[in-house]
Amino acid sequence: MARGFQRGRRGIRAKLDAHEKSLLAHLFVEVYELLDAHDGPAEQDPLAVMVGIGTAVDTPADPALARLLPDGHRDDPQASADFRRYTELGLRDRKRAGLETARVTLGREGTLVLDDGEARAWAVALTDVRLVLAERMGLRTDEDHDRLLEQAEDEDEGVSVMLSLYDFLTWLQETLVAALVAPLRDVPED
Amino acid sequence: MDAVVTSPVELDEPRSGLDQAVTPPWVTLVWNDPVNLMSYVSYVFRSYFGYAEAKADKLMLDVHEKGRAAVSHGSREEMERDVEALQGYGLWATMRKDD
Repeated sequence: MARGFQRGRRGIRAKLDAHEKSLLAHLFVEVYELLDAHDGPAEQDPLAVMVGIGTAVDTPADPALARLLPDGHRDDPQASADFRRYTELGLRDRKRAGLETARVTLGREGTLVLDDGEARAWAVALTDVRLVLAERMGLRTDEDHDRLLEQAEDEDEGVSVMLSLYDFLTWLQETLVAALVAPLRDVPED
Repeated sequence: MDAVVTSPVELDEPRSGLDQAVTPPWVTLVWNDPVNLMSYVSYVFRSYFGYAEAKADKLMLDVHEKGRAAVSHGSREEMERDVEALQGYGLWATMRKDD
């Protein structure tokens, strides 16, 4: 049984069993690969890529990917396309880097101990995984969770498995955020 | 890991330096979604913007209860930077002209 994240003297620690670790690693890889897939034009200008300008201008067709890489403007497709050209490559890269950081730390023996940078990467990685799972389950409004719970109780095993996984990740992230917030102090605003 | 940000997008938005300093014409919005935890959203506002806990919680509750909140104001370039960073955290952020 997992014990959630807690801040200790040597870092932010959690106790996860081997099954939970491999499940998490698997999910981090899945979302990494989702972000890796290019659904835009195959040919990228290498110089443009070097400075972070991509060719993607359209909202990703996969709704889960679209949730990870949303439009920057709600009612202005042209502005959204321009924004995406300049930001999507970088966003994909940073999200992948964070997922990779989280996955690598899972390879450590025994109790999982994270420094603050790794813990921040984990918090984002858990968010991205939960966003994708939610989209796949049809969890899109605040009311959907109750509906899915009823479905799970009505012996829909697929929903039941995904929902318990999702709830486990939610719980784990709650403990992680609490550990991250603990040392934050308010600085007086001028 | 704090978001690293690429260069701001230069677009042909007419600007007059003086007006802009007085009334920042753009705003970053964060929209409610059923996935992002209330504690996490507040944490992001504190750690990215450096907002005090009370302000971060207030904005987070606005997102949750009203469906969205304007979380920062400034030039278009500044809002592009904020939207990109918040999207990096997994928040559903967009920008628009503040009229």
